[in-house]
Amino acid sequence: MAKMNESDLYGTNLSIESMKVVAESIGIGNLQDEAAKELSEDISFQLKHIIQDAAKSMNHSKRMKLLQSDVDSALKARNIEPQYGFHSAEPLPFRFASGGGRELHFIEEKEVDLGELLNGISPKAPLEVGLRSHWLCIDGIQPTIPENPPPVAKTIQKLESVDPINKKPLKESAGKPSTGKQKLKNVETVQIKQLATHELSVEQQLYYKEITEACVGSDEAKRAEALQSLSTDPGLHEMLPRMCTFIIEGVRVNVVQNNLALLIYLMRMVKALLDNQSLYLEKYLHELIPSVSTCIVSKQLCMRPELDNHWALRDFASRLMSQICKNFNTSTNNIQTRITRMFTNALQQGEKIPLSSLYGALQGLSELGTEVTRIFILPKIRSFGARIETHLEGNLTTNTDKTASGHIKQLLIKIIAPIIKTIRNPPDSLEEYKQEFGYLGISLHAAVVKARTQPTPVSTAASVVSTSAITSVGQSIARPMTSSGIVQQGNQPTRTIVMSQQSQRISVQQNSQQKVVFMPQRSLPNTASHPQFSQSNSAGTTVVKLVSSGQTVNQPKLIQSQSQKLVVMSNQSAFSTHSPLSQGQSNIVKQNFINQQQMQQMQQLQTQKSIDDLPI
Amino acid sequence: MSNGLDKNQLTAVLQVLKKYNLKETEEQLRKEANLTDQVDQQDSDVSSVLTGYKSDGDPETYEGSYIELKRFVENSLDIYKHELGMILYPVLVHMYLELVYNGHTDKAISLMKKFGPEQDIYYQDDLKKLAMVTRRDHMNGNELTDTFKSNQFIIRMSRDTLSLLKRHVHDKKASVLLNIVQEHLYFDMYEGVARNKTQIDATSGAVGGEAKRQDNKIKVYYGIPKAPDIQILSAPVEDEEEPAEQESPDKPKKKKSKKDPLLSKKTKSDPNAPPPDRIPIPDLKDNDKMEKLRALRETSKRTNLGPENLPSCCAYTLLNANYNVCCAEITEDSSMLAVGFNDSIIKVFTLVPQKLKSMKSADKLQEVNIEAEDVLVRMMDERSGESARSLCGHNGPVYSVSFSPDRSLLLSCSEDSTIRLWSLQIWTCLVVYKGHMFPVWDVKFSPVGYYFASCSYDRTARLWATDHYQPLRIFAGHFSDVDCIQFHPNSNYVATGSSDRRVCLWDITTGNHVRLMTGHKQPIQSLAFSICGRFLASAGTDCRVLIWDLSHGHLVAELTGHSKTIHCLAFSRCGNILVSGGLDCSVKVWNFTKLTEEISSEDVNISHNPDVKTGDDYLLRTFQTKNSPLINLHFTRRNLMLAVAVFDGIAS
Repeated sequence: MAKMNESDLYGTNLSIESMKVVAESIGIGNLQDEAAKELSEDISFQLKHIIQDAAKSMNHSKRMKLLQSDVDSALKARNIEPQYGFHSAEPLPFRFASGGGRELHFIEEKEVDLGELLNGISPKAPLEVGLRSHWLCIDGIQPTIPENPPPVAKTIQKLESVDPINKKPLKESAGKPSTGKQKLKNVETVQIKQLATHELSVEQQLYYKEITEACVGSDEAKRAEALQSLSTDPGLHEMLPRMCTFIIEGVRVNVVQNNLALLIYLMRMVKALLDNQSLYLEKYLHELIPSVSTCIVSKQLCMRPELDNHWALRDFASRLMSQICKNFNTSTNNIQTRITRMFTNALQQGEKIPLSSLYGALQGLSELGTEVTRIFILPKIRSFGARIETHLEGNLTTNTDKTASGHIKQLLIKIIAPIIKTIRNPPDSLEEYKQEFGYLGISLHAAVVKARTQPTPVSTAASVVSTSAITSVGQSIARPMTSSGIVQQGNQPTRTIVMSQQSQRISVQQNSQQKVVFMPQRSLPNTASHPQFSQSNSAGTTVVKLVSSGQTVNQPKLIQSQSQKLVVMSNQSAFSTHSPLSQGQSNIVKQNFINQQQMQQMQQLQTQKSIDDLPI
Repeated sequence: MSNGLDKNQLTAVLQVLKKYNLKETEEQLRKEANLTDQVDQQDSDVSSVLTGYKSDGDPETYEGSYIELKRFVENSLDIYKHELGMILYPVLVHMYLELVYNGHTDKAISLMKKFGPEQDIYYQDDLKKLAMVTRRDHMNGNELTDTFKSNQFIIRMSRDTLSLLKRHVHDKKASVLLNIVQEHLYFDMYEGVARNKTQIDATSGAVGGEAKRQDNKIKVYYGIPKAPDIQILSAPVEDEEEPAEQESPDKPKKKKSKKDPLLSKKTKSDPNAPPPDRIPIPDLKDNDKMEKLRALRETSKRTNLGPENLPSCCAYTLLNANYNVCCAEITEDSSMLAVGFNDSIIKVFTLVPQKLKSMKSADKLQEVNIEAEDVLVRMMDERSGESARSLCGHNGPVYSVSFSPDRSLLLSCSEDSTIRLWSLQIWTCLVVYKGHMFPVWDVKFSPVGYYFASCSYDRTARLWATDHYQPLRIFAGHFSDVDCIQFHPNSNYVATGSSDRRVCLWDITTGNHVRLMTGHKQPIQSLAFSICGRFLASAGTDCRVLIWDLSHGHLVAELTGHSKTIHCLAFSRCGNILVSGGLDCSVKVWNFTKLTEEISSEDVNISHNPDVKTGDDYLLRTFQTKNSPLINLHFTRRNLMLAVAVFDGIAS
């Protein structure tokens, strides 16, 4: 009723049209206008009343979202039969559609395959309610632990870095006693610019010392712990400038000294900081990006380039770079564009660029996505081919150049073959390939043909290798890449900051030696469909890792920003499938259960996220 | 009251009698009414429900007379303006209802649209509800319109303002207005200066207007009586593990000559405390006395909190329980946590290393030596210890749970309109109390045990005893759902908070209300008595904590700061700190000592309403949780704050 819409006090009523539609649906063909009006008024009144009552039930359940069960209890209180079959634990995921001047909110009803339901795919078990105790405050001061919100919220950090003037000078950080001194300082400097106070408490200084020592020390277990802390601790905000300085200074010194191990350790620190959900690194990117790019394109990163596996470092740093681009690229800072330009400029140098740097630039570009690869690398493939041909086929080159050329060749084939596969139609003629791609034509042809015959493209296999490279990067300095790297990662206490964990879980995980029984069965049918996804969206390692772990069910819904969380989970189980069994059975079953549950929850989270984007 | 009204009411009664075919009575009444007009009809509310709005006034005049009244209010002197302004809202409401009742819907809607939005902000919710009513049959059974029809809207006014108003009403001869003022408004006149806008706003907002002075005149024994003598048991106290000494004839009772220092520190008897025999209180069992001593012992280790000594807080976060948890409660000794779920289950968690044991089976119990000193321990099955136990039996969301003081019983109330009593020794339901006809929102054990109180959607609160299946008292009087209930620390009173936005204190001996306090603008969700018993804190959907002085029923402070509904309040054991928590995922710590000190320095009497204290002066600290709305706050005997929160994994 249009006339009702004007005032706030009078909400909307159901329209006469909808009354008629409802009437039709139950077989009353021609409902009189008068009757429809009467009905709509009465039904709107009743509905509003029921909703009012349902809100009472919502209030007493200490919620802010009205659920179907609330409506049911309102109906029950009026002695009306409740609405059966509308139960949903989650808030309704309303979809929105518009067209032809009409707007429609509806609930998407998925078709359920009864056959599938019957044939053994076990329904998801509901999550057990758990109780977790932690300190909310101690003597009036809130400790910065993962269970508490970060002292400075990420949004505020973001706001600060984007617009420093916006920083509220008198805003008292939660739980911290505000000292008069601090306030005074702010007042004095408020007109010029906010001076960040970087005074660290004694505890923070100790923490900084311990963490930095552990990160670059020789004890791998300790390092794992330190990195874990860096990636999960919510209270690092104040120490961030120091950490960044530590990293960039470290890179500066160790590049000169060709200390590969330390460079890797420092990059892992960057990775940990990037992974920390409570930190917003944008303010420090101008320092971090040069350091990371150094580790990608530097001419020499190790003492013995022909033996040491500095390629892993370059790969790892490239992935970091793509992660940075993904997380922080905005229309104002144009990080991705600038980084792409930097790498392409390196490629422009032609013969002058050392082979190792060429490899780094190529790897860096390839991590930025297939589109970038197609535009910037594919056209030059001939010249690259020509260059590495001289090293690979000729006799005059050093061993170092030969290895480098080999790596470049592998890399190019890995990244180019899937692209060619999509842009060229079969049949693939070897001659054409030779014509178009020169030296690399033969290998590319072979790779493309192979990719076409196999449902699993080359990229997956290759990326799996590189995945292990990432994890093993700390250890496999002088060794070839082996799967031992995975074991090392398994030793890390992979504590996620997802609260849904039970406290006892952590302890179980640290020496987790589980065996996942159900994983392979469930995942196998899915793996086939994933490669397309990972290829089309070359988001890099994270996604591919999921494939390798094969625990994913609803992959296509994956959202970039969340993939890291998932990685942690799936890696554990990926690892666990390899590892020998050495724990009590009951524990293992429990662990499996939790793992599965977590995946479910993650997926729930994801679907939720995607739902949140919709207007509800 | 005019004769006309009495006639109206009489005819209404006659209608009722006719309806139920009570011919003789009807005849009788008819005869009687015709003979005498002296029938006492003061409180026949039922009648006015039926014909209250019968009016043949010209619908065109309503808007005019409202505008006239408004102009009169605006043009009056500043000191009277605000008090006069208070009548605008009830007059508008009654005009609207009259119009609707007599079928002039269009007029009613236009009146509401024109003047509804300009009413005070805290009336907007009710206006919205009223606006839904557009036809006479909508009024049938409508909670809000019934309230307006059958109760007079109470307005407190100074003598001068009232005479001003009366003169205006009579001068204008506006029959519509006159009718409303006479029939539906009650003026609680007081001597003195007219109040200003802030003073008025502080106490208005309730559905039925303000509280009458008469409502708060009765003396309330808000003091805490002297603790019962537990001296006799001081002997076995030395060893805490040892159970109560059994009264066995062969063992002569040890007389303790040396007085326990804890017990010698006797509190002076409070002049405001009720006589100890005012309500029958169950005798303390030996076990209870032991418990009391243990509590006293703990108390001696208590840290006193204050602005310099802020509390520590341990948070218990419930995981994987999105939208599923309705309530939580911690035992007085902080050893157990009970959680009521939306899916009708109750879970009891242990918060201490001792597991939750159940009693041995009947045949095994026979083997237990009853004479043994530790018979209570021996009764329990050692192997049955679990860290969490579920209690199933309800048939709807469990809205509240409450532990008995001795921790052997648990009460729960649910949407299925029942209250259940559970044994925490055999872990089954013992009694189902059926009395409420609608969802029961809250239930609380009395601090002495045995009694408990419940409140419900059916607008009543009830007092029960565990061994009676029917309620001992029914506290009726709220105009809307009674949302929360709390026992006074001396067990002689219960306080209720309702969706009609009034806080009420009931005497459990008489069942009458002794305090009626208005000032909330939204439903009340939580109540807490101060340790001294004199103050009551209430909070709710309007995001404010209000502090009431029970000695006179005055509103003394208004603590603002929360941004969403407050669901829990707690006083520290020392009484210095008040904490509040709610859906905005924050715990706020308030300095209660400062507040009481400032209050006690003021001269307060029944007619002088003190200025309401506001502001952030009392806020000591805010602690934010991580996306976890607070559902319960509790202080341990040593003054450690415990918070129960539900992690909202979806919002993060």
